[in-house]
Amino acid sequence: MSTLSLKQLRKQFGDVTAVHEINLEVGDGEFLCILGPSGCGKSTALRMIAGFEEPTSGDILIDGQSVVTMAANHRPTAMVFQKYTLWPHMKVYDNIAFGLKLRGLARTEIDRKVNEALELVGLPDYGKRMPNQLSGGEQQRIALARALVLEPKILLLDEPFSNLDALLRVRLREELRRIQRRVKITAIFVTHDQEEALSLADRIAVMSKGRVEQLDVPSRIYDQPATLFVADFIGVMNLIPAQQNGATIDLGALRLESPTRVNGTVTVAIRPEDIAIVGESDVDAWGGEVEQIIDLGHYRKLLVKVPSVGTLKVYAPKALDLRENQLIGLNPSRFTIFRDGAAPIEVKREAVAPLEMSVAV
Amino acid sequence: MVARSTRSLLPYILITPPIILVFGLIFFPAAQSFVRTLTGVDGSFSFERYLEFMNDRSSVTSLIFTFQVTFLSLIGLFAICYPLALYLRFSNSRVAYWAQMVALLPLFVPGIMSAYALIRFFRGRGLLETIIYQLSPVLSETYYSPYVKPEGIIIGSIWESIPFTVLVLLAGLRQVESGLIESAQDVGASRWTIFFQIILPLTRRAALIAFCLNFIAIFGSYTIPYLLGPAAPQTLGVLMQRTYQEYAQPLQAETQAVITFAVCALVGLLYVRTVSSQRTGRN
Ligand SMILES: Nc1ncnc2c1ncn2[C@@H]1O[C@H](COP(=O)(O)OP(=O)(O)O)[C@@H](O)[C@H]1O
Ligand SMILES: [Mg+2]
Repeated sequence: MSTLSLKQLRKQFGDVTAVHEINLEVGDGEFLCILGPSGCGKSTALRMIAGFEEPTSGDILIDGQSVVTMAANHRPTAMVFQKYTLWPHMKVYDNIAFGLKLRGLARTEIDRKVNEALELVGLPDYGKRMPNQLSGGEQQRIALARALVLEPKILLLDEPFSNLDALLRVRLREELRRIQRRVKITAIFVTHDQEEALSLADRIAVMSKGRVEQLDVPSRIYDQPATLFVADFIGVMNLIPAQQNGATIDLGALRLESPTRVNGTVTVAIRPEDIAIVGESDVDAWGGEVEQIIDLGHYRKLLVKVPSVGTLKVYAPKALDLRENQLIGLNPSRFTIFRDGAAPIEVKREAVAPLEMSVAV
Repeated sequence: MVARSTRSLLPYILITPPIILVFGLIFFPAAQSFVRTLTGVDGSFSFERYLEFMNDRSSVTSLIFTFQVTFLSLIGLFAICYPLALYLRFSNSRVAYWAQMVALLPLFVPGIMSAYALIRFFRGRGLLETIIYQLSPVLSETYYSPYVKPEGIIIGSIWESIPFTVLVLLAGLRQVESGLIESAQDVGASRWTIFFQIILPLTRRAALIAFCLNFIAIFGSYTIPYLLGPAAPQTLGVLMQRTYQEYAQPLQAETQAVITFAVCALVGLLYVRTVSSQRTGRN
C-alpha cells in the first residue's frame, strides 16, 4: 500500500546535471521501469530515492511523506544492485537475516521470514551456502529475497539482470514480475534494455540526458512516441529528414499530407511494420532497390535504398520471394511528423493492398 | 622443436639463479647455524645452548622486551593506520589525496635518516620541546623525551611502518566494493554496524598480512632500536649485535639469531596460510 512521488527532483555533480527536475507519480503496486541509454541519469534518480545520493533540489514522497531528510538506513525502500550484491563473508541465510537482526526480531521470527523469502525466490535449500557457491542468477535472486524480506514500501532495482546471459535474463524477468504481483509491492526497475522494460512494466519512464522524455504504458511508448528521442530509442524506426511546405511534405516520389499547415524542417518517422511492400511499378509508392536482406528467423528485415529518401528498414514475410538488388515499391501506411518545439503528429494513410505472396515481382 | 623445448625450459632457467641464491645464502647457512646451536660442547646433540639462553637473565629480558615493543608498536600502528586507510578509502576530497602522499613519504626516506630525524625532533631540547617551550615554558618543563627509551623504539617503528601498512590496508579496503556497503546501509545498518560487520571482516586478511609482515620487520629490526632505544633492556636485534661484536660471543649470538628467526618463522607461517587461503578461498 505505497505510492511514490518525485517532485522537481534534481541532482547536480559539479558541472554535470545528472537529473533535471523530474516529476513522477508511481501508484500503489505499480511496476514502473525507468528506461534510457547509459549515462542518462537513471541510477542517480534511483539512488536518490534509496537515499544514497542527496538531491540538489526537489522532494521525494513515499505515501505522501517526504523522505529526503531521512538517511538511507531509515528509508522504507530496499534496493537490488547490479553487482557485488551479497556480502561474501556471510552465508545466504545470514545475508537475508542481516536486516531482520538489526530490527531486533526474535530468532524464530527471523527463521520463518528467511525461509519464506527463500521459498519465494525459488531457492528454499540455499540458506547454508556461501555467496561464491551460487551462480550469478541465484545471487540476484538471493539479493531480491534480502530486499523483500524487510517488507519495504518501495522495491528499487538497478539493472539487476544486466550481468546475466540473455536466456536467464528473460527467465528471471518473468519470475520477478510474478513475485512482484504476488507480494503486491510498488517497484521501480531501472534498465537500458527496452525489451526488458516493454515486457515488464506497467508504465515506462523513458529518460534522456537527465530528463523524462515520456511516461506512459508500454504500448503507447511504442505506438505514440512523444519525442524524436523516444521514437528513435524504442524499437526500430526509420527517421527521414524532410521539408514541410504548408500541409504537404514532398518526400521522393510521394507527397505526404499533414493535418497542420506549417513551413520548415521536420522529421518523418515510420515504423518498418508500417511500410507495405508493393509492386515496383505502383504509382502510390516509393520505388527502391533491396540492398540487403537480413534473416531474423520467422521474418526478414530488408534495407531498401530509396532515391532522395534514404535507406529504409522494412519487414518482409518469409514467403515473399525477394533477392538483393531487386526493385520493389514501398508504401507507408502510417507515419509521425516531428518538429522542434511542437507536439508530434500521427498520420494514417489510406490502406493499400500489399503485394500478394504469389505475385512474382 | 628446438625453439619449443627451450621455451618450455625457460621458466626453469629463469628461476634457477634466485633459487641457488636463496638456498646458498640463506637456507644453507641458516640450517648450518641451526644444527650448530643444537650441538653440545662434546659434539653430540644437546639443548645446552638454549638452556644457557633461558638461564641468562639479560637474554630472557631482551626476548620479553622485544615482544612487548613489537606488540605495542603494532597496536599503535593499527590505531593510526586503520582509521587513516578508512579515511583515504572513503573520502573523495583533495585533502585525502595529499594525506595519502604524506602517509607514503617515509617509504622514500632511508631508515637511518628517519631515525636521526626523529632524534632531532623529540630528544631533550629538540625541535618538539623547543616548539612547546615557545608556546608555554611551563608546559615544556614537563616534557618527556622518548629518546633512548622504549617509547623511542615504538615511535620509530611506527613511523617506519606507516606507509607499508597504509598501502596494505588501503588495498584491502579498496576490495570492499561500495555496493556491499550501500546494501548494508539499505537494509538499515548504521555506520558502526557496517564497520564491524561488513568492513572489518572483509579486511581481516589485509589486516593479518599487515600484522605478520610488520611483526617480522619490527621483531628483528636493528637500526631503530639501536639508535632510538635504551641501553637496557635492549631488543634481540641489538643484543645479537652486541653479543657478537662487543662481547665477542658468536655462539651465543647465533642462538639468539635462531630464536629470533624461529619467532619470525612462526608468524611467517601464519602469513603464508593467510595468503594461500585468499587464493583458494572466495573468488
Ligand atoms: N558520483 C558521481 N560523481 C560525478 N558524476 C556522477 C556521479 N554519479 C553519476 N555521475 C554522472 O551523472 C550522469 C548520470 O549517471 P548515472 O545516473 O549513473 O547514469 P545511468 O545509470 O543512466 O547510466 C553521468 O554523466 C555520470 O557520469
Ligand atoms: Mg546505471
